[in-house]
Amino acid sequence: MTQPSQPESSKYAVELNGCTKEFATPGGGSYFAVRDIDLKVEPGRFVSIVGPTGSGKSTILNMAAGLLNPSSGTVHSFGEPVHGVNRRASYMFQQDALLPWKSVIDNVSLGLTMAGVSKSDAYDESRRWLEKVGLKNFADRYPHQLSGGMRKRTAVAQAWIVNPDILLMDEPFSALDVQTRQIMENELLQLWQESDKAVVFITHDLDEAIALSDEVIILGAGPGSTVVGSYEIDIPRPRDLLEIRDDPKFVDLHREIWGRLKVEVSRTYESAREEESDAA
Amino acid sequence: MTVAPASKNSQRFPLRKEQNPAAVQRPKRKRPDASNFSIRMGQLGLAVAVLGAWELLGRIGVIDPFFFPLPSDILVTVWAWISTGFVFPHLWITLQEAVLAFITGATAGLVLGFLLARVRLLERLFDPFLQMFNALPRVVLAPIFLLWFGLGIWSKVAFGFTLVFFIVFFNTLEGVKSVDRVLVDNAKMLGASEKQLLRHVFIPSALTWIFSSLHISVGFAITGAVVGEYLGASAGVGYAIAQAQGVFDTEGVFAGMFILMVVVLIIDLGVNRVERHLLRWRPPQQSS
Repeated sequence: MTQPSQPESSKYAVELNGCTKEFATPGGGSYFAVRDIDLKVEPGRFVSIVGPTGSGKSTILNMAAGLLNPSSGTVHSFGEPVHGVNRRASYMFQQDALLPWKSVIDNVSLGLTMAGVSKSDAYDESRRWLEKVGLKNFADRYPHQLSGGMRKRTAVAQAWIVNPDILLMDEPFSALDVQTRQIMENELLQLWQESDKAVVFITHDLDEAIALSDEVIILGAGPGSTVVGSYEIDIPRPRDLLEIRDDPKFVDLHREIWGRLKVEVSRTYESAREEESDAA
Repeated sequence: MTVAPASKNSQRFPLRKEQNPAAVQRPKRKRPDASNFSIRMGQLGLAVAVLGAWELLGRIGVIDPFFFPLPSDILVTVWAWISTGFVFPHLWITLQEAVLAFITGATAGLVLGFLLARVRLLERLFDPFLQMFNALPRVVLAPIFLLWFGLGIWSKVAFGFTLVFFIVFFNTLEGVKSVDRVLVDNAKMLGASEKQLLRHVFIPSALTWIFSSLHISVGFAITGAVVGEYLGASAGVGYAIAQAQGVFDTEGVFAGMFILMVVVLIIDLGVNRVERHLLRWRPPQQSS
């Protein structure tokens, strides 16, 4: 927040410059969740952030969303500094974020009705989206009556209906079983290819990251983690996610990136074990 | 006085449906009819056995009917109160007091609850005072309200207000504060203003808590009216009970209790209806 937005930054959908986030601990101390994060996402790009547990992946996403303010550093979106919620972004949460007291169609149309669209127009648009995600017969159900996969589809429709320029996704499919997850990934990729949206996708699953993305960013072990590597994924599109894991390019990239990620994962594991033995 | 501990309790743990004594008799939706029917018969049998034993022991002289009037005599008195129309003006006054206490108390509790839950500064400012007033056993306020507001209905309304307000207030505060963070973030990302957050997220989310407090606070509104009347009034069911007690008419005391009980049950049934409609989105609760 200290410096005005630079003109050359305006081409990035999301731009984090030297962002550090410090949290207060209940004991009165503080710890750094992430340190000196630089992240640049061009419009229309699919970028994944991968890192071991506790590496502050969600913190980065929340700063890009404007739900968290960085302790130092700046966040810009299309050249505008982000103050409060980032209006050009939609967010898909890891947990269920559908309002349980609203039916599927009311959940999907929420973003439109809150923006002042008339209820009938919002419903028409919602029905179009429900059809797209294969839920047109479930419009009047409540979320607790749906399966996990159907709830995620509803969440996809809810996030996309407002036509955001940026999609922030925090391990959106991690709670799903493997088969449902692959289907959802395929559908997500299809939706995204028809659009020109920037996606920032958080996952702890390297396979998923490589299969989906244009770029994979590796975070170091937490706390106070920072970006330790960035890899361009040049597997041609459109990709067939059900076959991609056998693609030689995929295998090479996976080996290369895993070599780097492995180090961070084992560091996280080591420090967790140390803490355990300290406590014992 | 049970007032303070009960409201304290409800502030932390809103009664879940299965624990709520008023809701226990409600038919469980998913049960097959047969077991439902046998439960009903069991309840009926239990009631008949207890009342029958009471009647019998009273008739053979094991318990003194002066202190424990026979159930049959109580029913005769209830019928007399109803058929002569004696009880209705009293009931009307009591209900008026209870309804006014409930409406004012619940409204103030809701508004202040939402306000303090959303404005952190206000909560910190008001907290010690609210705790102080909540710690005060409310019954000791009744005499002072009698002095301030006179023998009419307003002293009872004021008394009922203090009972209802704190229950609704603490439940609303807790309900709004315990709203899932993710739901709030999601609504914010979808562009919700503070007003829209309140309407789409906080109010529906707090409803569960508010309803569990409504069951209790409806009861307390009537408690407030009756206790107030008992301590000093010129009309109302509490007054009628006090009059009966004054002439050692225990049948009259029990008849008054019985009529109050029936009235509260009927009102609670209405609250259940409203609750079922407003909370229809909720998954059916698994019986443990």
